[in-house]
Amino acid sequence: MKLLHLYYDIMNLYGDYANISAVERLFKLLGTDVSTDRKTFKDNVTLSDYDFIYIGSGTEKNRNAVMKDFRRFSDDIKSCIENNKVILMTGNSFEMLGKSVTDSSGRTEDALGIFSFTTTEQNKTRQTGDAIFTMEGTDKKLVGFINKCSCIESIDTPLFSVEMGMGNTDEDKHEGIRKNNFFGTHLTGPILIKNPYFLCYIASLISGKEITASEKTMAHEIAGYNVTLSELTKRIGN
Amino acid sequence: MKKFFAILVCKILRFVGKIIGRGSSLPGQAALKICPDILSRIQLPEYIIAVTGSNGKTSTVEMIAHILTQNGKTVAWNKEGSNQIEGVTTLVLGNSTMGGKVKKDILLIESDERFARYTFKYIKPTHYVITNLYRDQLTRNGHPEWVFDALKDSIYPETKLILNADDPLVSLFGKDRDNVVWFGADKLSSDTKELQSVYNDGAYCPSCKSPMVYTTHHYNHIGHYACTSCGYKRHDTQYTITSVDLPGGEMTIDGKYKISLALRSLYNIYNITAAFTAASITGIDGEKIAKDMSDYVMKNGRVITFEIGKRQGTLLTSKHENSISYDQSIRIACADKNGCDVMFIVDAVSRKYFTSDVSWLWDIDFEMLKSENVHEIILSGTYYNDLAVRFEYTDIPKEKIKIIPEIEKAYEHLNSGREEYIYVITCFSDKGKFLALL
Repeated sequence: MKLLHLYYDIMNLYGDYANISAVERLFKLLGTDVSTDRKTFKDNVTLSDYDFIYIGSGTEKNRNAVMKDFRRFSDDIKSCIENNKVILMTGNSFEMLGKSVTDSSGRTEDALGIFSFTTTEQNKTRQTGDAIFTMEGTDKKLVGFINKCSCIESIDTPLFSVEMGMGNTDEDKHEGIRKNNFFGTHLTGPILIKNPYFLCYIASLISGKEITASEKTMAHEIAGYNVTLSELTKRIGN
Repeated sequence: MKKFFAILVCKILRFVGKIIGRGSSLPGQAALKICPDILSRIQLPEYIIAVTGSNGKTSTVEMIAHILTQNGKTVAWNKEGSNQIEGVTTLVLGNSTMGGKVKKDILLIESDERFARYTFKYIKPTHYVITNLYRDQLTRNGHPEWVFDALKDSIYPETKLILNADDPLVSLFGKDRDNVVWFGADKLSSDTKELQSVYNDGAYCPSCKSPMVYTTHHYNHIGHYACTSCGYKRHDTQYTITSVDLPGGEMTIDGKYKISLALRSLYNIYNITAAFTAASITGIDGEKIAKDMSDYVMKNGRVITFEIGKRQGTLLTSKHENSISYDQSIRIACADKNGCDVMFIVDAVSRKYFTSDVSWLWDIDFEMLKSENVHEIILSGTYYNDLAVRFEYTDIPKEKIKIIPEIEKAYEHLNSGREEYIYVITCFSDKGKFLALL
C-alpha cells in the first residue's frame, strides 16, 4: 500500500499531517505493508503509483503558491479521479480543482478546471466554527472544524449535509465535493483522527476490503469522537 | 458636549465597575455609543506605545509599565488586560481630564491582534512592539498570515516599529521600511541546527514563498533564516540577547546587561527583550532597565509552585490552541535532570468561547517527552481521549502513560507515593480546576 502526502511541508495547517499518519497506522495495525511518500514543489511524482493521495490546507498565499506547481498534475489528477483513485483534499486545497479562485483583492486566477465550481475569497471575516456533518452511505456523523475565508459556488455533488456549521456558501446546507472516490472538504486539521468511522470508510475504499472501527484498536479514537459529538450536539439550538 | 458627556459616563461606569468588580470594557462601550469618534477627540501624550503578538502581550506590557514607572514616568495602561477597542477606550478616557487630555506621560496599550486595526484608527501608536506571530487560537484567528494582514492595516508609516527579527513573519512588517528597531538573539548555546517542531512555519519565505534556510534555530521556526531566492533574511538587531543561561536563570542583553529569569523558557526572554527595547527608546539607561527588570521578574515571574504531600511541583501555564506555548513547557520539563512526572489537562478548549476542536494537539511536539528525564505522563480532563490518541502516535512507551480522566482522581494519583518532581502543563482556562484541589 503506497500513500502520498503531497505538499506536506506547506499545506499543513493545524495538524493536517495526521490524516496520512492515521491511514498509515490503521493499515499497519491490520498487518498490511504500507509506506508513505512526502513530496512537495518540483518533486518527481507519478500520482497513479499511489493507492491514496492526501493534500491538506494552507494559508491563502501558500495555497496560491502551491496551485502554480500543482498545475503540472492537471491531467494526472483528472484521470485518477475518473479511475476511482482514493483522494482526500482538506481545507482550501480542494479549491484548486475548481474553475477559478478569486482572491480578496478581486483578482481571478484560473484553477485546474477539473470541476466547474468557483471560489471567491474575502479578507474581512474569518469563517470559523465547529461542524457536524452527515454523509450518504454511512450512518455515522462527522465532527470537525471549519476555518476558511471563501465562498464556493456551483457544486452539484457535495460530500456532506450540514447539521451544524458552514456549508459551501453562506446559504448552502451542503459542504465539500465528492466525485467517485475523490473527497474535498473544508474541514481543517486531522479529520481522519477525529472521525474513526470515516477513517475506516476511507481505508475500506483504499484496500477494497471492509474495514470497521473496532473498540479494541481504536478505543480512544471512538471515545474521543463520542465526547466531541456529544459536546457539539449540546450546542445545537443554543 | 457629546465628548464631555462620553468622558463623564465612562468615568462613572469605570468607578462603579471597580467597586463591583466588573469588567473594563463596558464603560468604553458606553462612551463609544455616545460619541463614536471619541478617541480622535482626545489629546494624547507624546509616547503611545502599543504591544501586540500571539504570545506574551500581557507580560510584555506589564514589564514596560513597571520599568517606566520605576523611572519616574507616569503611565496609563490596560492593567485589566481588556485589549479590544472598548477596553482601550475605557483606558484612555479613564486617564483623561474632563476636557479630554490624557494626564500621563505615556499611553501603553496592549492590543488584540485582530482588533488593532479598529483601535489604532483613532489612536496612532508612536511605537509599536510586535513580539511574535504563531499558530494561535485557530478557532478565532484563522492562521498567522491572516493575523498578519489584519495587523498590517493597523500600522502607519509614521509609527516606529519594534520588531522581533528572529520571527520571519513579524519581520515582514519591517521589509523596505526605515523606522524599525530590531531586537533578537545571537546564536545561543541552547540553539539547534535542525528544526525541533512537528511543523515548520519557516519552511518558505513569507515574502516570496521560495524555500528558506536557517543557520540556527532558537526554538521552532524562530531563528536566523534567509530566503534562497528573493534576499529576504533576518535583519541585524540593535537590541540583542547575546547569551542565555537557562539553568542558571540569567540572560544577557548587548553583552553587558544581565537580567535574572524566573521562567526557564526561551520565549519569555523575547518578551523581556521587547520590553527592554521599548524602555530604552523612551530614554532610560540600559543598566537601570536591567536592574528594574530583574527585580520585577523575580517578584512577578509567572511561576506557580505547589506541594502535594511530600512532592513538589510547578504549574507551567500554557495556552490551549497554541502549540508553541506547549512546546516551551514540555522543553522545561524535559530539561529537568533530576527526573520528573508530567501531567496534562485539557478540560475546556477555551474559557471565553466554545469550541471542541483539538487539531492543535497534533502540532505539539509531545515526542520530546521520550526524554529519560520524564518518568510518568498523566493525561486528564474532558478531552483525555484526544490526548491519549495523540500519544499513541508518538514513540513514548505505553507504560509511561497514565490516563486518568477526572482531574480530582489525577490529583489523588499524584499524592500516592511517587517522589518525582511534578510539572502540570495546562492552559490558564483549565489551571483553576487543578489549583482548587491544592
